[in-house]
Amino acid sequence: MTEYGSPQPPSRDLCATMLVHRQLLNESMTYRSRRAAIENRALQYERGRRASLRTEVVTLPVVVHVVYNPKTPELNIGDAQIHSQIEVLNKDFRATNSDVGNVPAVWKPLVADIKVEFQLATLDPNGEPTDGIIRVPTDQLSFSWDNGVKASATGGSDPWPSDQYLNMWVCQLGGSLLGYAQFPGGPPQTDGVVILHSAFGTTGTAAAPFDGGRTATHEIGHWLDLYHIWGDDDGACTSDDKVADTPNQADSNTGVPTFPRITCDNGPHGDMFMNYMDYTDDAAMFMFTQGQATRMNACLEGTRASLLVGQVMRMPAPAAATSPAAAVAAVPAQQQPAHNGEVERLLHDSERLTNEILTDIRSALGLVTGDTGK
Amino acid sequence: MNDAPPGVIGAWLHSFEEDTETTAVYRPRDHPFRPARRVRRGLEFRADGTYVELRPGPDDRPREMVGRWRAQPDGRIQVTFPQGHGRPYELNVLSCVDGVLTVAK
Repeated sequence: MTEYGSPQPPSRDLCATMLVHRQLLNESMTYRSRRAAIENRALQYERGRRASLRTEVVTLPVVVHVVYNPKTPELNIGDAQIHSQIEVLNKDFRATNSDVGNVPAVWKPLVADIKVEFQLATLDPNGEPTDGIIRVPTDQLSFSWDNGVKASATGGSDPWPSDQYLNMWVCQLGGSLLGYAQFPGGPPQTDGVVILHSAFGTTGTAAAPFDGGRTATHEIGHWLDLYHIWGDDDGACTSDDKVADTPNQADSNTGVPTFPRITCDNGPHGDMFMNYMDYTDDAAMFMFTQGQATRMNACLEGTRASLLVGQVMRMPAPAAATSPAAAVAAVPAQQQPAHNGEVERLLHDSERLTNEILTDIRSALGLVTGDTGK
Repeated sequence: MNDAPPGVIGAWLHSFEEDTETTAVYRPRDHPFRPARRVRRGLEFRADGTYVELRPGPDDRPREMVGRWRAQPDGRIQVTFPQGHGRPYELNVLSCVDGVLTVAK
């Protein structure tokens, strides 16, 4: 293959170019390092070397950023549409969705209650009361997949601290996208999920066949570290989703497939196309598996443990509980007497993971800069 | 780029609803596509020979792959990725008329 149009050699600003290159390299290596730690933890959970500490349902605080162009008023979706989305999430992540009974018999034992619920935030980052909904007018006609909706500087809405809240942005998206996510381990300033307004919730501007609220279920699956069920290998059958109880399948399924659909020699039951992490229509996806629950728990008790700790902090506690230590000590006495040790282990785990990641980052930086750290 | 099919310069997204068994249809990126859960692939042919391919990513957004494109005398388009990020391939453009780019599968 003959090359052509070779780039011109750099003639100026080499120093700035190298700085940008080094910055990108460092960021990339930092992300890779974080992902490696997260993946390692997920593997430990999957192989039973670690088990979930959690026995109770956790409720994650959500802030919804409605970013709309006033020239298209319907993009400023109503509260009812937002509440309808939260309602769907609270069914899907508890396996209480009305269509869970449609799971083929062979996979019914795999259906998982993730024991996660979602609630619009009641306190903002300053501790002030809020309804958890932010409405931001913009000049943008639509947003791309470049995180532009996540920053006021680019016509979007700045996130609330992503270690305390799940940020959900709702807007007009270009390129026919329904939404996109960010895996754990990415930059905190862009952490969260983005959903097309007409694929959000079940009322208002939500439009068939994506009016079942399942786009958010899928994207939050990514946010909790789930991969696509087909392994993103472009039909090669060589990669899977790193979850053992989901069958390997060739590629994404769309629409409303008929069971069974065989690919990758995965007969007789075939693809688990009714899994939330496939690409079928909202009406055709209705389950997470036990293996996916394990992977999400690894994430929740690892890189996203601050949300669990934060939940403890937000629980009603005696007025005297003014320090984190006091709050942690007070809550179990009031609500979950058996979980005092669990919270401590979670805090310890978070600290240890942070130290591991910092070590990895220092190592990666040392590789780039040539500094061995001695 | 003298042998490039007329009108091919630009950014295109896969209008997979219009595909046939043998052809793939692309339309300009600003075409009012209907929303789709499957991320649309994209092709962009820039006049300076830069080629940008959009491939579905694991987080439901496209990932850019930057390469080079060159029209061959037989009308095919040769695509390479000098950075070693992808295998070279050829695109057989069957037609590019009225904002519809049709490529052989």
